[in-house]
Amino acid sequence: METGSNNSLPTQFPVSHKSFSLNIKGNKTDIVICKYDDSFMVMATQIGCMGTILHARKEESVSTDPTFHVAVIFGKRDEPFLVACARQLIEHISSYGSTRPLVLSLGLKDHSPIIFEEHMITCYGSKYIKEE
Amino acid sequence: MASEELEENLSELQIGENGEKKPVENDVSDGAVKVSCFTEDLQDVTLHFQIVNFSKQIYAWIGCNSAKLGHLYAAATTRPNNNVSVTSLLGGTSDNTGSSIARRIVLKTGLNVVVACNIPKDSPMLEATAERKLVERLASLGYFRPKEKHSN
Repeated sequence: METGSNNSLPTQFPVSHKSFSLNIKGNKTDIVICKYDDSFMVMATQIGCMGTILHARKEESVSTDPTFHVAVIFGKRDEPFLVACARQLIEHISSYGSTRPLVLSLGLKDHSPIIFEEHMITCYGSKYIKEE
Repeated sequence: MASEELEENLSELQIGENGEKKPVENDVSDGAVKVSCFTEDLQDVTLHFQIVNFSKQIYAWIGCNSAKLGHLYAAATTRPNNNVSVTSLLGGTSDNTGSSIARRIVLKTGLNVVVACNIPKDSPMLEATAERKLVERLASLGYFRPKEKHSN
């Protein structure tokens, strides 16, 4: 049984993941990032459960400017910063050339913009999302 | 978010290629989240399982011959009688593959569950096998409630 981080041996398990824990503004935050064949899953929680789940994808467009669709599929639908967080992350993923959709779960104690900035920095710092 | 600020903060936070994490200020290295991955080779299919153990919830992914995310379901006990409710989050609502697995895991563990499953439709035996393997692993992880006596 493998626990913790997967050292990305493709023949061993088809889904690679990274899990780590950070202290953000005094709150212990557990983050798990999984890479599936057709999507990314990012889970960030401070409350012991997945919290609000969002789905974000890049829309197919003939225009050079990419557009994205972001929706809350479970949980709080009245927190605009959750949607903004998913929007920033899918745009970041898209900037690396990946068209995979993103499933993002955020279980946060504080929904202030500063906290989301910290989360964005954390996710941006992960080289894992960058497609090879 | 100023780009200069982002660059400065990025330089402070570095994560290695193999999941190693360089310490940052106020960092907590011990994660409370455990990720379990295992594979079961059956006669004609390969089932992949991934379980993420949160303290109050379980996330499970079941892959059938592929690493696609599949359909996403959430299940939990709901009021008024703590009956288990299941809803489809991603994927077609007419496809029940995975939803019954989610429902039975909630019945056995009492925890909220999110299940992702790409088992094809109309494969009840495969679904039953996958559920059995998943339940066995959850039992070994200590997730099951003590069995209650059933009157029926």
